Amino acid sequence: MTEETILLLLSGLLLFMVGVYLMFAYRNLLRVILGVEVMAKGVTLVLLAAGVFRGSVEYIQALIVTFIIVETILAAVVLAITFVAQRIYNSLDIRNLSKLKG
Amino acid sequence: MLLYASLILLVVFAILVCFFRDLLYAAVSLALASVMLSVVLFQYGANIAAVFELSVCAGLITVLFVSTVSMTKDSDQANESRLPAYFLPFILVLFLGLDFFLVKWLAGSTLVGAGFPATPGLNFQNVFWGQRMTDIVGQVSLILVGVFGILTIMRALSERRKHD
Repeated sequence: MTEETILLLLSGLLLFMVGVYLMFAYRNLLRVILGVEVMAKGVTLVLLAAGVFRGSVEYIQALIVTFIIVETILAAVVLAITFVAQRIYNSLDIRNLSKLKG
Repeated sequence: MLLYASLILLVVFAILVCFFRDLLYAAVSLALASVMLSVVLFQYGANIAAVFELSVCAGLITVLFVSTVSMTKDSDQANESRLPAYFLPFILVLFLGLDFFLVKWLAGSTLVGAGFPATPGLNFQNVFWGQRMTDIVGQVSLILVGVFGILTIMRALSERRKHD
């Protein structure tokens, strides 16, 4: 592995861990979504590292584009759920979501 | 040099998301992290992915986030603890140690060789429209799922308001 690939992997894994920490340490729903987004940045970096390592950035570029779309749809739907939960409970505490009925 | 600088800034902006008490500043910090990520993607020749990252992640998601923050700012957020931000430096040291261990193990693993030569004659159009056509079906389905999901959630809220 080249020095650049290792650096990409290191940064990607660090971002993933910071995202996991944001998700588990905070109770605010918006901070949890920020954690998911930071995790997604880490995953994108690790995907890029895999593409650089395999010598086929074009293949991985197609996968990254798909991943960005998944990330955006996830953020949009979860932000809508956050908005509705805030309107119902007047709070952004994630524990309130367990009271939502399907 | 630019690669190292953009990677360091990307990590710094992502860590700053944890430290900002104001969610608007945290959202802007995340947008700056996205900008840095798109700079990294540009440097590796992943131009289409970089433009997507810049326009969608740094643009659209930030707009959605700032709108949601401003629509929900009247809610009860006062009891949020500062403890996670104080613990973060220690957790970061732990994460870095774990990170070095994982990458060292991966670099020495027999699964990963010395790298592959660049594949000649590949371009994004051929890969995306030729070999990964099923991804496009998945993407269109996901966009529809997102649109109908948001419509359903908002309809449930308006029905609840009528009921009250």
